[in-house]
Formats: sequence, C-alpha cells, structure tokens
Amino acid sequence: MAPIQTAQVLLSPAELSYLHSSLSLSPPIRPDGRTPTQFRLLVAESDILPSANGSARVCFADGTEAIVGVKAEVEKSQWRPTAGEQRRLSVAAGDIVMDDDEGESGDASKTKGMGQDSWVEMSIEIPGFRDDDALPIFLSAMLTEALLASGELKDRLYINRRFHWKLYIDILLLSPPLSYPLPLLSLTTHLALLSARLPALKSEQDEDPLFDDDWAASISLFPRSNPNNPSRTHIKKPPVTLLVIAVGQNIIFDPSKEELAVAEAVLAVSCAASHTSSANPVRLLSIRTIDPPSRLTPPGIPNSMNSATGGSAPVSSTDAMAQREALNLSGVWTPRRGGIKRGLVGRVLKMVVEKGGVAEEVLEALEKVEVDG
Amino acid sequence: MGNTKVICTVAGPSEGRGPNRGGAGAGNEAKVDVEIGFAGFSGVERKRRGRADKRTAEMAHTLTTSFSSLLLTHIYPHSTISISLHILSQDGSLLAACINAATLALIDAGVPMTDYLVACTAASSPATSSDEGSADPLLDLNGLEEQELPFLTVGTVGASEKVSVLIMETRIKVDRLEGMLAVGVEGCKQMRELLDGVVREYGKKKVI
Repeated sequence: MAPIQTAQVLLSPAELSYLHSSLSLSPPIRPDGRTPTQFRLLVAESDILPSANGSARVCFADGTEAIVGVKAEVEKSQWRPTAGEQRRLSVAAGDIVMDDDEGESGDASKTKGMGQDSWVEMSIEIPGFRDDDALPIFLSAMLTEALLASGELKDRLYINRRFHWKLYIDILLLSPPLSYPLPLLSLTTHLALLSARLPALKSEQDEDPLFDDDWAASISLFPRSNPNNPSRTHIKKPPVTLLVIAVGQNIIFDPSKEELAVAEAVLAVSCAASHTSSANPVRLLSIRTIDPPSRLTPPGIPNSMNSATGGSAPVSSTDAMAQREALNLSGVWTPRRGGIKRGLVGRVLKMVVEKGGVAEEVLEALEKVEVDG
Repeated sequence: MGNTKVICTVAGPSEGRGPNRGGAGAGNEAKVDVEIGFAGFSGVERKRRGRADKRTAEMAHTLTTSFSSLLLTHIYPHSTISISLHILSQDGSLLAACINAATLALIDAGVPMTDYLVACTAASSPATSSDEGSADPLLDLNGLEEQELPFLTVGTVGASEKVSVLIMETRIKVDRLEGMLAVGVEGCKQMRELLDGVVREYGKKKVI
C-alpha cells in the first residue's frame, strides 16, 4: 500500500468526527456541497511548451498546479529475437490509415508486443521531496504502471527493428502537495500525452530513421478521433487515474484534503478508453489501495475518559482498550482500523467503469480540452 | 520571453533564517533564498540537471545577491523569502527571464521593493568591416544567437540607468562593451514598461 506523506491536515478530533458523520449520511453532505461524483473546477491548458513534444498544465481549485512535458528521443534498440518474420508496420510510418477500421485493427495486431516497458521513463519532481523519497517513487510507479498496462503506448514507440522512440515524461508539481497529488498528476499526464506529437517517419523498414522536417506532418502519439467516421468506437487514449474514497456506505470521487483525512478507504483506479466496442466504454487498467491518512489522525478522548472533565482516565492498558472499543458508538473520532470490504471495491469499480460513469465523463471532458486549446 | 518560459513562485517572508544559524547572520534582515530547477524537457534534448550544478548555482547566487539588495529586507528581520524558479523551456536570455519572472512574482506576493528589477540581453554582432564603430548591437537574443555571439545580460533597477546585474561569459573587445551596454539598458527600460503594464492590468482585473 502506498503511504501518504502529505502535509498533515491539522484537524481536531471534533472536526474529524463532524466531517465523518456528514460524509456518512445518505446522500453524503460534502464540505463544499458537491455531489459524490462531482469534480472540482480546474484550469487546464495543453501544448504550452514549444520545445517539448507534448505538454500540459493543470491547476486545481485548491491551488495545486502541475506541469508535464513529454519528450521523445530516438534510441537504438537492443536486439531481441523476434518470433516470425512478419512485415512490421508502424504508426509513425503512416502505413496505417487512421480512419479506416480495418487498418486500425491491422495496426494493433502487427505492432502488438513490439514495445518494451523500458521505452517509457517517468520522473516526478515535487517541491520539498528528494527524488528518492517514498512519495515521488510511489506516484511514479503508479502512473507508469497505468501507462504501460494497456501496452498500446509502448507499441506506438516502435520505429523499426533497430530503433525506437524513448519517451521521457517529466512531471513538475509546482506547489507543495496539500492533498494526495495523484489525480492531478494523472490528469496532467493524460493531457500532455494527448497533445504529444512525433515527427513523421520518411525512411523505410530497417534503415536508419529519417524524419520529415515539416512539423505540420507530424503524427499524434494518440490519434484523434475522426469526426467524419462515427463508426469508430475504439479511440485510443492515455489512461487516467482517479482517486476514490469510501466513507460508511458512500463512495466519493475527487476528495479534498479534509475528506481524505476522514476516509475509511482510499483507492486509486486507473482506466482508459476501451478499444473494442464492448458494453463498457472504459477499461479498467489497475487498482491500487492507498493507506488512508485517517490512520494518522489524533484520536479523540471522550469526556468520560478525560480526567479534566470529570471522567476518570483508564488505569491500566486493558482498561484503556476496553473503553476504546466502545468509543466508536459514541461518535468520538478514532482513527480507522480494518481494511476494505470486497463488495465495496466492486461497487467502486462499477461506478467508475459503467456506461455514463465517472471515467467516461472525465475522459470526454479531457478530450474537449485538446480540441479547444 | 519568446520561447524561453520560466515560472516563478515566491513563498514568504516566512519564519526562520536558513538552517537555524544562531546569531551569526548579517544583522536583522530577511534572507532571500533562490532555488532554480531545470525541467527535463526544457532543452532541445531531454536532460536532467541536478540542483548542485555549477551554472545553476551561479545563476541562483546572482539572483540572491541582486534581490537581497533590492528588496526592503530590513522590514522583515529574522525571516526568509523563498523564490523558486522552474525553467520550462530554454531559448536564450535565460538569466534575464529568471530575473523578470522573479520580479513579477515578488510584486504579486506583495514583498516591498523600491522599483522593478528588469533584465535583458544584448550582443554585438561581428563588425562587417574592420571599422570598429560599425558593430551592430542586438537586443534580446534567442538560443541560436546566444551560442554564436558574445553577449551580456544586464539588469537595471527600474527605468533608471542604475545597473544592478551584469553578467558576461564570453570575450569581446572592450570598446564594443559600451555599445552593448547602452542597448541593453535601453532594452531594460522597455522591459520595465512592459512589466509595469502587466502588473497594472492584473491589478485592475482583481479590483473588478
């Protein structure tokens, strides 16, 4: 489980208990009045850096801001024994016509499996954290895992048997992390990848790669959906990771830092648009549980146990434990114990993945950013 | 500035002067702490630069000394003003962009200062003939020009001619220097008007 090392939200046990009870109601009352599936306002810009292949900047309403730049460099491939001598086609060569359904599936099968995980490198810079601290490493691992899970991204980086593109994704968090920065970084990475373009390949087959100097001929890393061809149901998009919390019976999306502090379970769900026209428009790529920060919150002491307010402090440790067991019922805040129920995980996934669900909304909204910007 | 993009954040004045230096500090003044980070995607090639890089450290030191003398630090004794710069894209005039970004950020933060600290670059193109007086000074260089020509970065306080920062890493004949400096200072005056316009516009938007 990934640890959370955010700046501790300094809330007293009374405030924590209040937040927890209002979020456990049905329907939950969030501190800022949002519905459980409503996201906060954000500002998103893409393609802001002239010297990067792709870039994006996202600012959340709580003041956190992130910039992601994507750069691609040609690298010599290590020779791998290939199974079979099929003719290798690649996206960059433009051999595949993007808006042709047949060609799409042909492309997928021919470059399938040609990519390697090492072709994508991610680095995260968070102010106040060194590069080998736990938080940047965990975030980087979670985001890379989601990116490589579908296999499509690394397959796109294949040029020919001797060369490939190495994709460097550099994430800069500009403000100190107040709440867990995972969804912010994931959204920004998604946008940056959507705007990333690679130069068009002019050379053939296994020659030294030669690219078209005309940037207008460049190819998008993730081809845009063609509005002229409505039958295209499978649109390749980079994955996006959402942070979901559970409080009582309620599942809440896009938690603010106060809501995170009282969450009973925190999940990071990565999903991408599915590339077959199946029932679900969104594919699940990975789920990660995150240690809820509620474990680190200070417990409240009820008046009955506080000698200052007329109660008696527990004398022995067994006495203390016995009294604490009864605390939960009295509404006094205690740090959450125990894990996540399987049924809960199932419900979360259903809410994320279903048609018209949260992930589909998010992916559609992000696609619009690219078009307008 | 052109394709050079720098983003600057300011935090402070906040408590404490550096790593708890007890009493040995230079009097009751605020300390200016500058940190520069080069993003991996900033150059033409992707390259991760460490913070302890000599060139980075020198740029940071230049900024620290120039802002320490500019800001009214005696108002905030025993505190630290942290300036954090992120270089997003490099295409020449890097130090000048950093100085201008830091000035705007400090104004936005409300840290008191007497006037803007603005900077720009100037170079002297090779003389077309052996006539020394015909060297054409150039203003505001981009990446390619910086690599080829000797150039300097000059920073002035406001629209006056008081030069606060002057950095030159290349070699030229000393008689070309005056021309370059004059052009640079003129450029700084223009820059000051630009920055002032931006600040006022932003201020108006805030009021409305």
